[in-house]
Amino acid sequence: MNPFSALTPIVLLGLTPLVLMLVISFHRSHRLAVVISLVGMALPLALLAGTATSAAPPLAPLLIIDGYALFYIGLLSTATMVVVVLSYGFLERVPGNREEFYLLLTLATFGCAVLTASNHFISFFLGLEILSVSLYGLVAYLRTTRTALESGIKYLILAAASAAFLLFGMALIYADLGTMDFTAMTSVLAAKTREPSVLLLGGFGMVIIGAGFKLAVVPFHMWAPDVYQGAPTPVTAYLTTVSKGAMVALLLRYGQYGGLLDYDSVASVLAVIAVLSMFLGNLLALLQDNLKRLLAYSSIAHLGYLLVAVIAASREGSHAVTFYLVAYFITSLGIFGIITALSDERKEADEISDYRGLFWRRPWVSGALSLMLFSLAGIPLTAGFVGKFYVLTAGVLSDLWALVILLVVSSVIGLYYYLRIIITMYLSAPEDPSSPLSATRRFSLPEGLVLAGLTVLLIWFGIYPAPLLSAIQAAVGSLA
Amino acid sequence: MSDAYLPILLIFGVSALNAVFMVALSHILNPRRPTPQKAMPYESGMIPLGDTRARFSVKFYLVAISFIVFDLEAVFLIPWAVEMRALGWSGFVAASIFVAVLTAGLVYEWKKGGLDWD
Repeated sequence: MNPFSALTPIVLLGLTPLVLMLVISFHRSHRLAVVISLVGMALPLALLAGTATSAAPPLAPLLIIDGYALFYIGLLSTATMVVVVLSYGFLERVPGNREEFYLLLTLATFGCAVLTASNHFISFFLGLEILSVSLYGLVAYLRTTRTALESGIKYLILAAASAAFLLFGMALIYADLGTMDFTAMTSVLAAKTREPSVLLLGGFGMVIIGAGFKLAVVPFHMWAPDVYQGAPTPVTAYLTTVSKGAMVALLLRYGQYGGLLDYDSVASVLAVIAVLSMFLGNLLALLQDNLKRLLAYSSIAHLGYLLVAVIAASREGSHAVTFYLVAYFITSLGIFGIITALSDERKEADEISDYRGLFWRRPWVSGALSLMLFSLAGIPLTAGFVGKFYVLTAGVLSDLWALVILLVVSSVIGLYYYLRIIITMYLSAPEDPSSPLSATRRFSLPEGLVLAGLTVLLIWFGIYPAPLLSAIQAAVGSLA
Repeated sequence: MSDAYLPILLIFGVSALNAVFMVALSHILNPRRPTPQKAMPYESGMIPLGDTRARFSVKFYLVAISFIVFDLEAVFLIPWAVEMRALGWSGFVAASIFVAVLTAGLVYEWKKGGLDWD
């Protein structure tokens, strides 16, 4: 097989923003931009269906396109398509240029694809920077509003600082091991000819800081609530899912198969980060009245759960991480999708009080939102439950009892604030008919279809997870 | 091994302390009689004109960005040009793709009016 044909999905993802840019310069049309980005994301998917079975050769030294990378690229581009559909309705209500939004969005997904397929520090850093630089623009896209500018600048400065940590960590690891190629690094580490030097552990620590910033785990979570609140809601959905998912894919690949977690010190640092994220995320979410801020803290807690499965460095661990991530993608995209679709020109539906009595006006929407929140809380019959179940199983199988118990305790705390939102929706509607959000905006057909599809998937994977699980097993199986 | 570096550490420490000590001492001991002339920023004898925080047109920002892009293009193309024969056709194709991507950017900038001054 020609090694370059394996690159086709990534090349197509890279061509999409380029084509979009040329089209924008000659013919500006919001609809056309949406169609091009959807096609650009769907083409690699269609190709992936054909190539997923064939074992692709590694494209030494920068990228490795194996079943694992292809699975994640498929997941990330599907999620991007959902975000594109949600953005269409959102951007229609916004003044100014709309087409560039999709340019940045597709470019960010290209960066994510490079990240998941990277086999070298260079491609890791390039992918991360393509992602980050596009995200600066996306977060501050509504540049006439104060909050968007604030969160954009916050994200810019903190992401740049964390990139500096990451680069320094890479330099330290290179100084110690003499290679930046992950495959070579793995074999050097696996040989275990000597104790890890301070240089190497310091390097790992700095790389964890850089990765932890993107994942928004405690103590690198400070940016998350403000950026989540200030960014346009579709971008928040993107930040929660695609940007974090790509980083998790990379961590999983090299945490488990790169021998990173064989070092006790690295594993215990990750354990501390996981526990802090679970508890701080869930406890601070209790105090929030803004739904987007609440979901930011909830996301911090969920990444803590995910880290537990990453630490459970076993085969079940990597299956659990991937399944959990898919479930989390479906749920988060659904919730942020509903927030986006309920908002109108006058007001964004991001206060919990906006949802008071929603059930009596929009029973279907509030039913779907309740299901999504149940899934986040990990109630049975939803994909979130199955994901959490696998994470717990992975933890138990690796004898991580302390982490498992802490996970359960913090999930119970989390239950409270998810249920609080659900209860608010079923309260009687506010007396004052002139409440800021009437939530009467009708969903467009694509929005409705996407949200209904996500809800169906949520229940389907909650009741019958076997097909997804076997796909994940096939994909993760190609790693080792 | 670390013992050998101890004198260097000492020199660093002593020089840092010395610098801080001299500045702090002159700050504490000197008499202060400020006049408007003394408070003025020192511009090699010139009397300063206006504020340093002058406003300038945001258009220069676009010029600076374009400059950086094409500056970097030169940084990548010159090494390729030097080794053009050794890199062969694959090098040529790679460089062409690079230039094509940048050209797409230029087309976008041009059409968007980034090259018009007014």
